[in-house]
Amino acid sequence: MITMGCDIGSLFTKAVILNGDDLIASRIRKTTGNIADEMDGFLKALMLEAGIERSELRCLAGTGSGASLLKRADFIEDTINCISAASAFNIPEVQLAIDIGGQSITSVLLNEEGEVVNFMRNDKCAAGSGRFLEVMSDKLNVKIEDIDKVVSRAARPMEMSAQCGVFAESEVITHVNEGEDTADIIAGVCTSVANMVVAQGRRFAAADHYTITGGVARVNSIIKIIREKLNGTYHGFPHDPQLAAAFGAALLAQSELVRGWYGAERK
Amino acid sequence: MLFAGIDIGSLTAEAVVIEDGNIVASEIMSVLPNPVDSAKEVMKRTLEKSGIRLEQIKYTVSTGYGREKIQSQGMAQENISEISCHGLGAYTLNPEVRTIIDIGGQDAKVIKMDSSGKLENFVMNDKCAAGTGHFLEVMSRALEVSLDQLGLMSLGSKKPVEMSNRCTIYIETEVIHFLQRGVSKVDIAAGINKAMAERVLALARRVNPEKEVMLTGGVAKNAAVKSELQKMLNIRLVSPKIDPQIIGAFGAAVLAQGKGGIR
Repeated sequence: MITMGCDIGSLFTKAVILNGDDLIASRIRKTTGNIADEMDGFLKALMLEAGIERSELRCLAGTGSGASLLKRADFIEDTINCISAASAFNIPEVQLAIDIGGQSITSVLLNEEGEVVNFMRNDKCAAGSGRFLEVMSDKLNVKIEDIDKVVSRAARPMEMSAQCGVFAESEVITHVNEGEDTADIIAGVCTSVANMVVAQGRRFAAADHYTITGGVARVNSIIKIIREKLNGTYHGFPHDPQLAAAFGAALLAQSELVRGWYGAERK
Repeated sequence: MLFAGIDIGSLTAEAVVIEDGNIVASEIMSVLPNPVDSAKEVMKRTLEKSGIRLEQIKYTVSTGYGREKIQSQGMAQENISEISCHGLGAYTLNPEVRTIIDIGGQDAKVIKMDSSGKLENFVMNDKCAAGTGHFLEVMSRALEVSLDQLGLMSLGSKKPVEMSNRCTIYIETEVIHFLQRGVSKVDIAAGINKAMAERVLALARRVNPEKEVMLTGGVAKNAAVKSELQKMLNIRLVSPKIDPQIIGAFGAAVLAQGKGGIR
């Protein structure tokens, strides 16, 4: 059975095609102002990459803050369920999944069956979010994908005193003007992001096995600091962690098909 | 008899000299790197401008950053917290004032006083940019209008946009999306000022504001924020009769006058 999960986030749009349990294609692009009109092209390109026809696609599940823009979706699922599905499927022992998205940090507590027991989400404040990281790295002229490389040559990581993204931005500018090394500043930014994630993760201190998903989880320097500070056993998401919610949506589409809710009338 | 107050802020330093409770000299300048130097310089300028000699001043109170050091270096006889000075300054200007909402460039404070002008309670936000002057600066840049315009233009709005976020960074993105969708800047500006007033309201509510409520700080100049806040609080906001920037130094001078034996 071929299904697709599509996650329209605040900063990036992600889509995954699954054939049964296997990921056969995935794609990530920026979420623009007219993403609704550009979705068809985006999904077509993905199907082309996977080598499948539209008729072979049995179910399309949407998720993310912009999911309602996905007009062709068979159903929309909350990101919390998608993250938990993707985490539990890929890491059976996982008890806590922390997703660092563009405009939110979400922690989901799972039981042994991989069901959601509790969750917490901060989408009120940009501190620690992907947007936060983007603003700071923009100011420092470092691409997100280059952060790890730059941080590796940090001799004396700075400590950020501001938590608020706006105040932290001013702080970064001050450090730049004082001639501080970019590597030391961005290392401080990574610590700042990690601290926000750890603060939320500690609310679920009973969970031992945890994973971290979302775009920010691609930055190893941040994962490293989180692992130092957050108790428990860390499990890396086996696919690109930015794809987790889309992966979960595609998985849920599979299970809906198994239950026979969708696709029966489709060709 | 003359009394003085010196207030060193994060951006500006102020000094006020009073005689019988009336301001006879005052000065505002940008701070120097060291608060003691700022105190010396702002006092020197105040005296030069008014022709008063330092020996004529009977008692001086310092407040703000480095207030202890300013006292220990002999530039003041006493130092008092800026909250108390700000409160007393506002109370002296208008004894009906029980609540002061002070919105600065980087922080916001709400001060409650009793009927004798004594500090009762205060809350402060210096952790989050939303609800401070910095928020409006970010928004005016996003909207490409001046801070003054941001306040004025929104008064003409009939349909203010609703912001769905609280965080400055997220609202900035929202503003950009509104602009891309062709929403008028007037309606966006009105939405911005409303969001600003909502954040200030959330802070003010923590101390249960009572009449009279005085609005000070640079944001007081934004008529739209002021009128939104009035509506939300359902209390008329009064403005100080003097430059709001020197209220702290004025309060310090009033305290000096009290300590100096005359009140």
